[in-house]
Amino acid sequence: MSAAGFDAAQAAMADFNENDRKELQQFLENEEQKAKFQQNVHNLTAMCWTKCIAANKISGPTPDSAEQTCLQNCVNRFLDTQKSVITLLEQSQR
Amino acid sequence: MSNIGSIFGIGSNASKEERKQAFIQTIQQQHNLEHARMLIQSINENCYEKCVPKPGSSLARAEDDCVKNCAMKYMAAWNVVSQSLVGRIKEGGL
Repeated sequence: MSAAGFDAAQAAMADFNENDRKELQQFLENEEQKAKFQQNVHNLTAMCWTKCIAANKISGPTPDSAEQTCLQNCVNRFLDTQKSVITLLEQSQR
Repeated sequence: MSNIGSIFGIGSNASKEERKQAFIQTIQQQHNLEHARMLIQSINENCYEKCVPKPGSSLARAEDDCVKNCAMKYMAAWNVVSQSLVGRIKEGGL
């Protein structure tokens, strides 16, 4: 969801009593989490598509098993890389 | 207040529960719309790149077939990436 949409949602919540506001606040936080997760999947899919599928012939509507393995590895190695970079930066801060 | 309420399709005489449901639905619709928008944009870019390397005076039958397979394949890839990410989060390996 866009930041503007989120702000409008926050403003509209002023109409509700405190219990309802708490409930809706929780709902909004869950939705934000979901949106962030989906955004991550969108970014990763675009990147891993380029690495795993872009060079292959599109022969059908589903990725073959080699492509599926490549996509899974792509996600996992990206996260390993992220972890490694974060660790490196944490160490260099000390 | 009536302006903000109207963004969310909430009439002033709607019951509390109706207003809450309208609020929740509006947020979910926005979220779904944003997700669809990003998916369509990614598919359009990646499958155009893949299936129409030399744009002619019209979209050829073979190009159109390729685009359709490619779109299905992209969504399948999205699901593989999503599942991989969920698996990694469940493992606590982030």
